[in-house]
Amino acid sequence: MTAAAATTGASTPHSDGDRLLDVRNMQTRFHVMDGVVPAVDGVSFTLDRGRTLGIVGESGSGKSVTALTIMRLLDIPPAEIGAGSEAWFDGRDLLALSESEMRKVRGKDIAMIFQEPLTSLNPVFTVGAQIAEQVQTHLHVRAREAWSRVVEMLRLVGIPSPERRAKQYPHELSGGMRQRVMIAMALSCEPKLLIADEPTTALDVTVQAQILELLKTIQQRTGSALIMITHDLGVIAETVDDVIVMYAGQVVEQGSVADVLLEPRMPYTMGLIESIPTVEKRGGRLSAISGVVPSPFHLPPACRFEPRCPYAWDTCRDRMPDLSVTRDAERHARCHLHVAGAASRLEAAVSQHRQNMRVGRQLTDSV
Amino acid sequence: MTSGATTGVPVPAEPAVRRRLRRRPPEPVRRALGQYVALVGYYLLIAVVLLLVTVLGVKGAADASARLVPFLLAAAGVVFVGRRVIPTRQRWALAVAVGSSLAVQLACYYILVQVVGGGATELDGNSAFFSVVLAAVGPILALPAMLNLLRARRWFNGERERQIRADEIGARPIADPLMGPARAATAALPAPTAAPTDRPVAAPSGTIEIGAIVPLPASAARDRSAAGPLLAVRDLRKHFPIHGGVLRRQIGTVYAVDGVTFDVMRGETFSLVGESGCGKTTLGRTVLQLTPPTSGRVVFDGYELEDVEPNDMRPLRRRMQIIFQDPFGSLNPRMPISDIIGEGLLSQGLTDRQARDKKVEDSLEIVGLRREYTRRYPHEFSGGQRQRIGVARALALSPDFIVADEPVSALDVSIQSQVLNLLYDLKRDLNLTYLFISHNLSVIQYFSDRVGVMYLGKLVEIGTVEQLYRNPRHPYTVALLSAIPEADPRRRRKRLILKGDLPSPAAPPAGCRFHTRCWLRERLGNPENCVTQEPEVRSLGDTGHQVACHWTEEISQTTVSEAAAESPAIVAAAVEDE
Repeated sequence: MTAAAATTGASTPHSDGDRLLDVRNMQTRFHVMDGVVPAVDGVSFTLDRGRTLGIVGESGSGKSVTALTIMRLLDIPPAEIGAGSEAWFDGRDLLALSESEMRKVRGKDIAMIFQEPLTSLNPVFTVGAQIAEQVQTHLHVRAREAWSRVVEMLRLVGIPSPERRAKQYPHELSGGMRQRVMIAMALSCEPKLLIADEPTTALDVTVQAQILELLKTIQQRTGSALIMITHDLGVIAETVDDVIVMYAGQVVEQGSVADVLLEPRMPYTMGLIESIPTVEKRGGRLSAISGVVPSPFHLPPACRFEPRCPYAWDTCRDRMPDLSVTRDAERHARCHLHVAGAASRLEAAVSQHRQNMRVGRQLTDSV
Repeated sequence: MTSGATTGVPVPAEPAVRRRLRRRPPEPVRRALGQYVALVGYYLLIAVVLLLVTVLGVKGAADASARLVPFLLAAAGVVFVGRRVIPTRQRWALAVAVGSSLAVQLACYYILVQVVGGGATELDGNSAFFSVVLAAVGPILALPAMLNLLRARRWFNGERERQIRADEIGARPIADPLMGPARAATAALPAPTAAPTDRPVAAPSGTIEIGAIVPLPASAARDRSAAGPLLAVRDLRKHFPIHGGVLRRQIGTVYAVDGVTFDVMRGETFSLVGESGCGKTTLGRTVLQLTPPTSGRVVFDGYELEDVEPNDMRPLRRRMQIIFQDPFGSLNPRMPISDIIGEGLLSQGLTDRQARDKKVEDSLEIVGLRREYTRRYPHEFSGGQRQRIGVARALALSPDFIVADEPVSALDVSIQSQVLNLLYDLKRDLNLTYLFISHNLSVIQYFSDRVGVMYLGKLVEIGTVEQLYRNPRHPYTVALLSAIPEADPRRRRKRLILKGDLPSPAAPPAGCRFHTRCWLRERLGNPENCVTQEPEVRSLGDTGHQVACHWTEEISQTTVSEAAAESPAIVAAAVEDE
């Protein structure tokens, strides 16, 4: 039982065993001028200690808001967290904690790495001072000890001559260095959970490889759990054990990374994977998902992917599918293809997906 | 109307009415012109001084100035007229300007002789001093200008040294007709307004067909029979000065593009790949002359772009378009779509509003947007739609060559594949040639025919996709390919991870620019020549595969896998250190 379990049943919160994070029916809405945006709509997932979970989706799918809600970093209002939402972390419901209690959790037990390191670092303090502040706040140590901790952390993330670098300002460091500083800062209090929100999107591919390798190494050494939020399926495949796919604020598929990427069971996931250009698809057109992500003000009434779905039929327009267990154990998908009567449709979709993944292969072989 | 393009017959008979491309004068001539203008400024200054002296009543000065003033006015007149005429770069006009300027010099000498010699009785020592000094300085100032003209004498002789130099890459003499035979075919199509709107003096020998912008529907004829590459770039450099200090003096140089040579064949997709800051975007813009190159040559369809004078660039620009990276920043939020797309058509001389709107609608339709969208504004569209508008803008002028600068990197995965499909279809239907710039190696592998890998302003490797992805010959390419995150978990493998970051292009490392991060150099025990000697671009056999590395023969399956096995250790080592 890893991240895949949808939390049906089990009504008592438990901190026993390996369960670290248990998000249940999380709903986050934004009240804006034009109406209400249901950014996260009934998201549930669990994460065990030392495991890694990937959240993948396009921009606007609610993956970052999920993380920010867990961290309680959203301004309320305009944000509003729905009544039934729960986020059990180590036996406590994060969404029910007081602000002062939450402040002790944030940075100490749960740390976050943001996408753009330059805007997340304070330009008028040295990077060392910014890490030291966090260490002093949470670990209650003297300035000198905090500083030696800073140097130790910077060395840990592979920054050469950390004593000197700690006294530099963010603008003096390159993009990869800044992201390393962010990681050092996040790790400085040995958090139980590390949330990385698009940690490599702003970086070049060679530096991205460095940072991903670093995150993996450190995650294995410290044994902290990791939530990796990204839109890049390649990054997901390389770094995490389990994955949830989000679309329009909902989880549409979850399972182990190998299962989801190799045998997707939800047409949206299939489309995402098919649209990645690969060498096999050379010489042919990519099979693209038609249309665009629906506006949050005008979500389709039933299945939210239905207007773009090549396999949709009447049922899809009638009611919203549940995130149900598929015929493969441990897999969940939000799709009517998995109800009892749709076996033939599912088969057709799966074989179409297999075919789309092979488009153009013949052409390449002849080269 | 395909003009027999497929038969391989060389260029058929040229169509009759074509404007001739005038050549821009070479650098020394342009410099000489500037120097002459400065000279005239000097004379005018003297005139003012003399007049002031006259007013103040210095003895004899009035007389001297009275003698000088007509000549000064004449010189000013000559240059004034010269400046108006010379921008058209007519050779005779330039000759007249230069000749008359020389005549002015002679006139000054004449005054000198008059004043010092024959007319001495009328003037006292004071005026003689004025006249001699002032008049003598003029010719001295004119000397560098004349030297510059001397340097450019071959140009005045009408010698086309460019043509000789360009033969190796199939460049045409610049005086050839602008349009190829494909244009001849399209000329028969109803031209909305054949209106050469620019200056009347500009078209002395015929009309230009800029009005005959090819209607967009697919399979527009393209000239594929012409020999040589569509675009040839030779040793192109673009350096940006860094200004600093109190006086804003130049304190350094960014070597954004530093000696790049490649060809783009007709109908091909040539991709540039590299990390941010390696100069790939600057290269794309410099190729289109959107920023003037520091040195080096760009030959587009046989036209040496450096030689084409700015006004004549316009018809060539119609054939070379660009799609920008950021679909949010590259569309003016205050303009409706009809103006955003139509602006290029307008500047190409399509002044008829209705005809223009028709074309705008056509190109919207081609990129898969609805015709009614013309009156909308950019904020009403999603990112993918905006990028389509960017594509439509480039296509509205029916170009042959499109620089696509990271066209999909700002888009979501599902939208990215839609736009890639669109670009792919357009290339097939309109027979376009792309210079495709991206940092995404998967997109490049899918999309391109040949690839150039850039590192710190230089191309380190060029090859077909098969050559490059199956058999990379430069250690940087190897590392780059190894760094791609693979979405297929079955293909997970050991990565070869580079140390450190890209060095600053303002202070590139000596020798091979990659040596500071090179894994191969490390394995070979840090050979000396990587630091001391800059590697030349070498061809590997006759395959067209080129690489700039001293030790490319050392790259093999074993060296790569050994290096890959060690490289996570680079990260791990730092971790162990504590």
